[in-house]
Amino acid sequence: MPPALFTVRAAAKRYELGETEVVALDGVDLEIGAGEFVAIAGPSGSGKSTLLHLLGALDTPDRGSVEIEGRDLATLSERERTLLRRRRLGFVFQSFHLVPVLSALENVEYPLWIDDVPAAERRERARKMLAAVGLANRLDHRPDRLSGGERQRVAIARALVHRPVAVLADEPTGNLDSANGAAIFELMRSVRHELGTTFVLATHDPTLMAASPRQIDLRDGRVVSDTLRAEAGA
Amino acid sequence: MKFARFALRNLARNRRRTAISLAIVAAGTVGLLLTAGFIRFSFDGLREAMIHGGLGHLEIASRAAVASRGEAALDRSVQQGIDDWQKVRDRVETLPHVVAVQANLHLMGMIQKPGGDSVSFVGVGVEPELERRMGFETKVRDGRALADAVPASGEDEVVLALGLAAALGAKPGDVVTLLAASPDGMLNALDVRVAGLSTTGVQELDTRFLKIHLASAQRLLGTERVSNLLVGLDDTGRTAAAQVAVTEVLAGGEQALAVTPWERRAAFYSQVRGLYLGIFWFLGAIVFVLVVLATSNTLVMTVMERVREIGTLRAIGTAPGQIAAMVLWEALWLGVLGALLGNALGAAAIAGINGLHLKMPPPPGAVDPIDLQLAFVPEAFAAIVVVMAVVLLVAALAPVARATRISVVEALRHV
Repeated sequence: MPPALFTVRAAAKRYELGETEVVALDGVDLEIGAGEFVAIAGPSGSGKSTLLHLLGALDTPDRGSVEIEGRDLATLSERERTLLRRRRLGFVFQSFHLVPVLSALENVEYPLWIDDVPAAERRERARKMLAAVGLANRLDHRPDRLSGGERQRVAIARALVHRPVAVLADEPTGNLDSANGAAIFELMRSVRHELGTTFVLATHDPTLMAASPRQIDLRDGRVVSDTLRAEAGA
Repeated sequence: MKFARFALRNLARNRRRTAISLAIVAAGTVGLLLTAGFIRFSFDGLREAMIHGGLGHLEIASRAAVASRGEAALDRSVQQGIDDWQKVRDRVETLPHVVAVQANLHLMGMIQKPGGDSVSFVGVGVEPELERRMGFETKVRDGRALADAVPASGEDEVVLALGLAAALGAKPGDVVTLLAASPDGMLNALDVRVAGLSTTGVQELDTRFLKIHLASAQRLLGTERVSNLLVGLDDTGRTAAAQVAVTEVLAGGEQALAVTPWERRAAFYSQVRGLYLGIFWFLGAIVFVLVVLATSNTLVMTVMERVREIGTLRAIGTAPGQIAAMVLWEALWLGVLGALLGNALGAAAIAGINGLHLKMPPPPGAVDPIDLQLAFVPEAFAAIVVVMAVVLLVAALAPVARATRISVVEALRHV
């Protein structure tokens, strides 16, 4: 296994839902190495999104620990976690979550923009990234003028433009038809091969699970299986 | 600055709501501009009425007279008058921006129409031609104003205020007798013909006031002195500089003289100014609160509608301070653009109202209605843009607090 990028130890997380306490994660242990392509599978409520939030430094566990590149999240300040997300991680969401008033190019530029990357450089990098995901002719289109598949490509370009070590994707094909879903999946796999970026996907898409080299199954907040598969062409 | 353009685009999302917010800011701006225009109009009108109603821009009086009665006294006793006033006048008239220097002699005493009752009066001996050059207006209601020429002995004239004429039962052409004490205490009398009836513009003063030629007043009091000299300038804005110049030119003279600007003699003006400024700040505070409440609610709505988007921006590394900057810029745009819109509407409203030539009821103490001409106050147009920007930034405090405290995880789940 490659060196650990994410290390989760006995992580637990509970939520208050009205007057009910929901156990989202209940003692999860796992490691994800740099450059891996991992699908986290399980039914709704199994804890996939919660685990993804912990891996993405969006939240901290109630018990246990989560380390990203050897840094324990519990020891990081709010500002350090913000910078970690801004510079080391990328995010892709089921509903794309693009900024509607920004063009495709501006959406992809955004992570560089908030990090004060000079305008010419960020524009060039965003342009190249959009070309890499096949949207060189959609630079000035706002999200409402793009198809679902195109929006998710923009979201992937936004997640990759600052060259993160890992991209965390929550149901990235959930709002796409099967053809677009397959294309997005292939795009992520090819990026992983070309750039060595780690991908962690929360999904309950059986096709996507079966095609992932590693699959971690969650049930009721616990890891019930962790399966490695031989990669096609490996 | 980086969020300025982003904020502008955010405002364009819900154009109707943004238009309402801009309308609120613009309405507040118009209200303040009209109030400022009215107050400036009132100040300017009252100021010029004071100056041209008898104060002049500067008063030159003996230091003894000023010391005994204070700067604000409207009349100076002849005992403490100016002896060699012609020389003083000659020196001051040479200064730039001086239109005229008029000598006044204040007097008080009794006035009687033959066969009638005696009535007390306050009066002033004036130089009618110089009064006119200084822009002093005698509001003649019957008969005529005093003749410019120095009246020969036995041909003295008087202009009576309406109230005083009514008390005497006098009309133009009648002869009345003035009784007044000379500087050395002798009681002198002078028969004068009523040239006309006038109003001072102040009802109370109209019951006691009269005006005669300076030469007649000197004849009545048996003196060559004058009470004071009034200096008229070509521009009220030059009063302070002229005061310095006049003081310098009179320094080292035989008699110690004091030079007093009109504002220090116009207690009524200062009181009205204080009252109007108080009203302006009170109205301003009301507008401030209304605009803050109305726009703050709108800004909170724009934040709450974008919870998931703000959560996404936070997730991909936007700092809370950057989210705050985005909301503050939206507020700033609303304030500045709304104020600019309000400036345009305010200018149009002022021009429109002035074009109607509305008549305002006479102000307290005055008798004539006034033509409403709201002033364009350039500094108010500029200041209000800054004020509205600040108002909107205050209004944005609550939305900023909400936007920066949004939980990223909860925001991402927000539907």
